[in-house]
Amino acid sequence: MPDPIFAYRDASPAAGEGPLSNVAVLIQPNLAVRGWECGAGSVALEKYVPLEDATAVAKLKAAGAILPGSVRMAELGLGTDGDRMADALKQGLGQAAVMTDLMGEARCAAVASRCYGFKPSYGLISRFGLNGLIPSMECLGVAARSLDTITTIMAVLAGPDERDPSMRREAALDFSQVNQIPEKPLTAGVIRESLQGLSPDEAKHFEQALARLGTMNVRVTAINFPDYELFRVVHQAVGSVEASSHAGKYDGVRYGHRTANAENWNEMYLRSRAESFGLLIKSFLFQGAYFQFQNYSAFEHACRIRGRLLRQTLDLFERVDILLAPLGFRALDSSGDSCLEKLYDHFEPALPANVVGFPALAVPGEIWDPDMNRGLQLIGPPLADVRLLAAACQLVNAASGKGTHDAE
Amino acid sequence: MPNNHQYEAVIGLEIHIHLNSPTKLFCDCPNQPGEHPNQYVCPTCLWLPGAFPHLSWAAVEKAVMACLALNCEIQPRSVFDQKVYYYPDLPKGYQLSQFHKPLARNGWLEIIGEDGRPKRLRIHEIHMEEDVAKLVHDTEGSKPISLVDFNRAGAPLIEIVTEPDMRGPHDAMEFLRALRTQIRYVDAAECSLERGTMRADANISIRPAGSEELNTKVEVKNMNSIRHVGDAIAYEIQRQIAQVQAGEAVRLHTRLWNPEQGITTPMRAKFSGPCVPDPTVPPIVIEEEQLAVFRARLPEMPAAKRRRFMESFSLPEEEAQWMTAERDVAGYFEAVAQQCPNPRAAAHWIYEQLLPALKERRMALTDNPVDPSRLAALLTLVEQGEINATAAKEVFDHMFVSPESPSEIVEQRGLRQMTDTSELELLVARLLEAHPDAVGNIRKGKAQAIGFLVGQAMRASQGKADPKRVREIIAARVQGE
Repeated sequence: MPDPIFAYRDASPAAGEGPLSNVAVLIQPNLAVRGWECGAGSVALEKYVPLEDATAVAKLKAAGAILPGSVRMAELGLGTDGDRMADALKQGLGQAAVMTDLMGEARCAAVASRCYGFKPSYGLISRFGLNGLIPSMECLGVAARSLDTITTIMAVLAGPDERDPSMRREAALDFSQVNQIPEKPLTAGVIRESLQGLSPDEAKHFEQALARLGTMNVRVTAINFPDYELFRVVHQAVGSVEASSHAGKYDGVRYGHRTANAENWNEMYLRSRAESFGLLIKSFLFQGAYFQFQNYSAFEHACRIRGRLLRQTLDLFERVDILLAPLGFRALDSSGDSCLEKLYDHFEPALPANVVGFPALAVPGEIWDPDMNRGLQLIGPPLADVRLLAAACQLVNAASGKGTHDAE
Repeated sequence: MPNNHQYEAVIGLEIHIHLNSPTKLFCDCPNQPGEHPNQYVCPTCLWLPGAFPHLSWAAVEKAVMACLALNCEIQPRSVFDQKVYYYPDLPKGYQLSQFHKPLARNGWLEIIGEDGRPKRLRIHEIHMEEDVAKLVHDTEGSKPISLVDFNRAGAPLIEIVTEPDMRGPHDAMEFLRALRTQIRYVDAAECSLERGTMRADANISIRPAGSEELNTKVEVKNMNSIRHVGDAIAYEIQRQIAQVQAGEAVRLHTRLWNPEQGITTPMRAKFSGPCVPDPTVPPIVIEEEQLAVFRARLPEMPAAKRRRFMESFSLPEEEAQWMTAERDVAGYFEAVAQQCPNPRAAAHWIYEQLLPALKERRMALTDNPVDPSRLAALLTLVEQGEINATAAKEVFDHMFVSPESPSEIVEQRGLRQMTDTSELELLVARLLEAHPDAVGNIRKGKAQAIGFLVGQAMRASQGKADPKRVREIIAARVQGE
C-alpha cells in the first residue's frame, strides 16, 4: 500500500555533522536527490530518477541534516491538492520542511501545521535541481517550528550557485546577524485592499492581532494600494504563460510518461500529455497557452503591470519597515482543489510576495491569540531577509513574553 | 502584361551560422558533431527537470565578433525568448532565440554587383539562438521509428536576417561569399553550406521593374552550396513570373530546392508558435567599454587588407582579392611576398599551384611542408633565372616529400637552367636545320611556328633551356639570315 505521506522514503537516512546535525528536513519530490524517484506529484514524471542532487539538497546534506524522504505534493507544486507537508509537519516526521512556494504553498502549509513559513527573496536560494513551474515567481521556502531553525536553514541554503544563473548576485546574506540586530520600534503597513475579502469574523481576528501588535512597540498604519487586485491578475497571466512553456518539456520523448497507444509522434504528444496532467494543471497550462497563442498583448500588459506593481510596492517601504497581511484565512474545500479561481481566492494574500519576489514570513496565528488558528504575514523589501527575520524575532519575543523564538 | 525583363526580383536571405565556440550555448558540452549519437549530452541540453541554461560567454563573444565583422550595431541589451513549438527535435517544447531584442541590428556588406559596380546590401538584424537535435528516421523490423541525436542540440547559432536588397542570384551568391569571408576572418564560424555549418533560406518575390512595392514572398530552403542558392533563386523567379503571367496569385508559403531536378517544390507548413520572454537566461548586457575591447580584437578586415596589398605589393585588384579571401591565405601570401622579389608571381603561385596542390593532397595551409620561406626561396630561384617554370614545378612537387631546400633539390636533380649562350646557339642551329618548314612559316609571319621550335628546344634540353633566351636566338637567327 502506498505511503499516505511520503512519496519517497529513505529507509536509512544518513546523519552528519554540521549546523543542521540531528535536524530532520522534509523535502518534496520536485527537488532532485540522486537515486530518489522524483515525480513532482505528476504522472508526467513517473519513475523519473535524477542523476545528481539539487544544490539545496547537497547543502542540506553537507550541513549534517537528516533527509527522511520526500513528502507527497500537489502536481508540479501548484496549489494544495495532494500536498501532505502540513500533515507531515504536524505528525513530527521532520522538524523542518524545504518546499516550493510559487503562490504561497510553503507559507500556507506552515501556518496549517502551526509552523513558521519563510519565502525568501527571489534569487537567494539556488534552484538548480528544483523542478519548478513558474520560474520568475517560485522559490524554495522553509517551514519550521522555530524561527531559529528557519534562520539556520537559510544560512545553509542561501548563497550564490553558478549552476543557477537566475540568482541574484548579491545572494550572500549573513543570516548569523538575525539575532544581533538591536530591537527598535517598528512601523508596519497594512494594505486596506488586502482585507476586503475577509469575513466579518476574520476581520475581527485580524484587528485583534493588530491591536496586540500596537502594544509591542509597533506602529500600525493603513495604506491604500488601489492596484492591489492586479497582483492576482498578473500572477495568473504571467504565471500560466511561464508554466505552459515550462511544462513543454514533458513530451514523453526522452523521459517521463509516454502513452502506450500512438501511431505517430503527433498522437504520441497529444496522448502522452493528455494522460500526464491532472485537471488543475491542464487548466493552468491551457490558460497560459491562451495568452501565448490567442491574446499575447494581454500577457505583455501583465508584464508591464508587474513592473509597475514592483515599483509601487518598493515605494511602500519608504514609509514602513514591514507590511502585514493575513494568510490562510480562507478555507479551501476539496471541490476547490481543481478550480483555478478558487485556488487563487485561497492564495490571494500570499501572491504579492511571489509576483514581486520580496521576502515574506508566515507566523502562526496562535502567537497573537491562542484561539486563532490562522496566520499573519510579514513582508519586507527585497534582500532584506535578515532584517525581516530579526523583526519577526522581536515581535515573537514580545508576544510570548519570553526570550526564545519557539512558537509553542 | 509585362514580359520577363519587365519584372525584377526582391530577395532577402535568412542565414543560420553555427558558431565555432568550444562549448554549446547553454552548457559545457563540447560543440562538436561527435563520433556517435548522444555522445555530447548533459542534463541541460537534454532539458532534464531541474536543469538551468547557463549562457556561454565564449559563444556570446563569437557572436559579437561575427556581428562586428558584418558592420552591425551591437545592442547594449539583448534578451532570449522562447519560440514555442512541439517537435521531437526540441527537448523542451521551445527554442531559446532572441526574437524581441536581438544582439545586433543595422549591418551591411559590400559586393560587386552584376553591373561591376560596388553595391551595399543591408542586414536588418542578427540574433543568437540554439540549434535543435537531429532526427534519424529508421525502421525496427517493418515498423518505422524516429531516433533523436542530441549532440547538436543547444549548439550556438546566429541568424542573420538581411533587408530585401538583393535583385538576383548574383547578389545573393556574392553576399554569401562576402559574408563567409568576413566571418572566417574573425574566426567565429566555418560557414560551409556543404558541411551544414551555414544554412541559407531565401525569401523571394517579384514586382514590375522600377516599382517600390513589396509583394507576397515565397521562402526557399534546402540549398547545400552557394551555387544551389543561385540556381534555386533563378528557378523561383522564373516560376513566379510564369505564375503571375498565367493570372495566378503568388501565395505565401515555403518551398524546398530539389538539386537533382533543379526545381523547387512546396513543403508542408511547419507550425509556428508564439515567442515569449524567457525568465531564466539573464539578458546579455554589453557596455560601451566592453564593446571597445571587442572592436580592438577585430583583425585587419578583407577590404583594408586588399587595399594594402594593392599598394604595398602592386597587386591588381583581382589578385589582391584572391589573396585576401581567406585570412590564412593572406597571412601566407604576405610572408612569401616579404621574402621574394616578385610579389605578383607569389600571388599567382599560391593561387594556381599551391592551393590546388593542397586541395589535391587534402592538406591545410597552416601545416604544409611548403612553408612561406621555402616557397619564397623557390620563387627567388625563378626570378634570378636559375631555373625555368617547368623545373620550378618539378622542384615544387618534390618539396612536398623532401625537407631539402629548393636549391638543393635543383642541384640534386640537375634542373639548373641552360643559360650558356653558345650552348643554346648550338641547340637552335640544329633545330633550324631539322625543321625547315617551321623556319619557312616563321618567315611567312606565323608566330606559332616559333612556339613549336621553342617546344622542341625544351624537349631536346630535357626542360633545362631558358625558353626566353631560345626564343630570342631563334628570332635573331631567322630574321638575321
